[in-house]
Amino acid sequence: MLEKMKLEWLSNIRGDLLAGTVVALALIPEAIAFSIIAGVDPKVGLYASFCIAVIIAIVGGRPGMISAATGAMALLMVTLVKDHGLEYLLAATLLTGVIQIIAGYLKLGSLMRFVSRSVVTGFVNALAILIFMAQLPELTNVTWHVYAMTAAGLGIIYLFPYVPVVGKSIPSPLVCIIVLTAVAMMIGLDIRTVGDMGELPDTLPIFLWPDVPLNLETLYIILPYSVGLAIVGLLESMMTATIVDDLTDTKSDRNKECKGQGIANIGAGLMGGMAGCAMIGQSIINVKSGGRGRLSTFVAGTLLIIMVVFLDEWIKQIPMAALVAVMIMVSIGTFSWSSITDLKKHPLSTNIVMIATVIVVVATHNLALGVFVGVLLATLFFANKIGRFMVVKSEQATNGVRNYQVIGQVFFASSEQFIESFDFKEVVDKVVIDLTHAHFWDITAVSSLDKVVIKFKREGAEVEVVGMSAATETIVDKFGVLNDPKEVEKLMAGH
Amino acid sequence: MNKIITCLDGSAFSNAVCSAGIWAANKLSKPLLLLHAIEKENVAAAEDLSGAIGLGARSSLLKEMAALDEQRSKVALEMGKEMLANAQTIAEQQGCAQIIQTQRHSDIVEAICDLESDARLIVIGRSGQGNKPDFNAIGSHIEQVIRQVHTPVLIANKDFSAPKSFMLAYDGRETADKAVKRIIEGGLLHGMTCHLVTVKNKQSGLMEKFKATEKMLRDSGFDVKASFLEDAIFAGLMDYKTNNEVDMLVMGAFSHSKLAQAFLGSNTLKMIENTHLPMLILR
Repeated sequence: MLEKMKLEWLSNIRGDLLAGTVVALALIPEAIAFSIIAGVDPKVGLYASFCIAVIIAIVGGRPGMISAATGAMALLMVTLVKDHGLEYLLAATLLTGVIQIIAGYLKLGSLMRFVSRSVVTGFVNALAILIFMAQLPELTNVTWHVYAMTAAGLGIIYLFPYVPVVGKSIPSPLVCIIVLTAVAMMIGLDIRTVGDMGELPDTLPIFLWPDVPLNLETLYIILPYSVGLAIVGLLESMMTATIVDDLTDTKSDRNKECKGQGIANIGAGLMGGMAGCAMIGQSIINVKSGGRGRLSTFVAGTLLIIMVVFLDEWIKQIPMAALVAVMIMVSIGTFSWSSITDLKKHPLSTNIVMIATVIVVVATHNLALGVFVGVLLATLFFANKIGRFMVVKSEQATNGVRNYQVIGQVFFASSEQFIESFDFKEVVDKVVIDLTHAHFWDITAVSSLDKVVIKFKREGAEVEVVGMSAATETIVDKFGVLNDPKEVEKLMAGH
Repeated sequence: MNKIITCLDGSAFSNAVCSAGIWAANKLSKPLLLLHAIEKENVAAAEDLSGAIGLGARSSLLKEMAALDEQRSKVALEMGKEMLANAQTIAEQQGCAQIIQTQRHSDIVEAICDLESDARLIVIGRSGQGNKPDFNAIGSHIEQVIRQVHTPVLIANKDFSAPKSFMLAYDGRETADKAVKRIIEGGLLHGMTCHLVTVKNKQSGLMEKFKATEKMLRDSGFDVKASFLEDAIFAGLMDYKTNNEVDMLVMGAFSHSKLAQAFLGSNTLKMIENTHLPMLILR
């Protein structure tokens, strides 16, 4: 265990320190921006980012992944903050953590396998669109100065890395913020700054129990939010973990990550921070900057709070336009652009799932709903496809006897077609239904067979069903064929 | 349970490991499996601290990192192949009948665990490639290997020549009795002089057990030189080893529970750290 800890913490010290610094710098504008989305003071997001990053660095299941206050979570809390205030948000954050820990113990992390790739892509795209949309209020009803500043900021962010030597060693979002702040202060522009958006932290976070009445009424208020936050947080974390897994070619412990995030959120809630989760954009930045171990996340969180506490007078001066530019970059970096070009290549059902996920999320601002719709659609499409794997062959055996052979998958989606495949109008003495090569997946299949048998009997035919026991082997909920080639072969015989 | 898994990695101990593996394979007439594990480094290679992510950041980064890993793996693969081929030539010259070369992409500990079901003996160097030749502590993987496998482990040191005698540290505990049983049943140590050494401890009836073990070994055809010492365990064993001509150390591994060890330290690990002799750990 000590070995593993050493590997996860200390095997890449230089890379982790540098990457952690880059991430800390990028986290500050994001945490402020997400606080503004949620409708709370910037310090709530900054405290949250600090607590979550530091705690998850220790207890998370995916070294090298960055977790902090996120846009996806912030969007879910808007109405809670508006209607009930900050204290209820903190209470909801605590409850979110508890739910996530329970999810970790129930091993719900493995449920991610039901979320198909199209849904993940839809989620990521929707998230990018939401982050972008959240910047729009800063860009409407403002003077041309703001547009100029934002455009200049984006220019710096994307072009600075091409500057030889320094381009790859100084984070360009930091350059953007410093330059724009300096310009705004020098020419004394009257535009909105971070200081106008609310209180910044001037001390380290302190422990405080949310000031809400501990009764059922409070629970009714916060529970729906907490459930949504827990689901969205775990979804985004699991997706980010997959991305980091792919990038670094290593494995993560998903259930540990679920529990770790729960602990981190409880920590954030008790320290006056909002709920958060893993961040796709920041994790990519971290890996790109050379971060691999837990140390990078830890450094990011620690440096963030140090910088914020000591530089708060300066941070107040940052024009919102600079933050908007950084957030637009995050939005662009999060969006999966290949998914647009892939639209032509992929089948229509896949595209529908992806686009439906995006539309639902953008319309409701709730990522959980979008994923729910996406998963539902993907499942229906899949059931529909598998339902076509069924054929009923029929042949005249001897006089007055007809043999039906059922091959393939019989379940709710194909049961109607199954019934229609029999010719009830033919006058026969005896009908033999051979199910040896069929699979009955659910009770709908069984009841349709019953229907068929009854119908034939009504017409005066004798019915014999062959191979019923083999066909219904798949009806129980758990049949043990996973990773057992012999069993699979037996089950799939004749397909 | 029939292969001699010999772990090569190009470190200073690789030659000794190879010789030890060949010796064991010949003595036991078992196939020699030459194993090279291509371990993944957890270190980032390229650094781009620009912190900017643009269009398709994820896929381009993935491509870049995959290409880098590909290069690294190819080099490691080639090196490993060469090393294995070298070892095979040596083994063939020394009369090994059956030689198998295996390369695996994983940690050496994982690789050993994956292959363990078919292992008779695992031969490994006392520290790995990453360490300097004069590195005194034992490699980080050794402890993991000893703990996780249930097969005997032969830890090779700087040089290896066919041993003629071995020292068995016997403490009267269950693990030691098991080790004695395995020495008698297995064939690796047959025909060698056995220095049976017991250091007095708090256990009652140790003397009787010691005598019984001596007799048992003698009856099984070992030339036994038995000594009952009264020093501190570790110092006693070390002294005996230096004062008598011992070619190899044999121990039953880890008599303490893991928790106890974290506080007390284990004699087995201490012995591995402080000896230049090859050491056989029986489980």
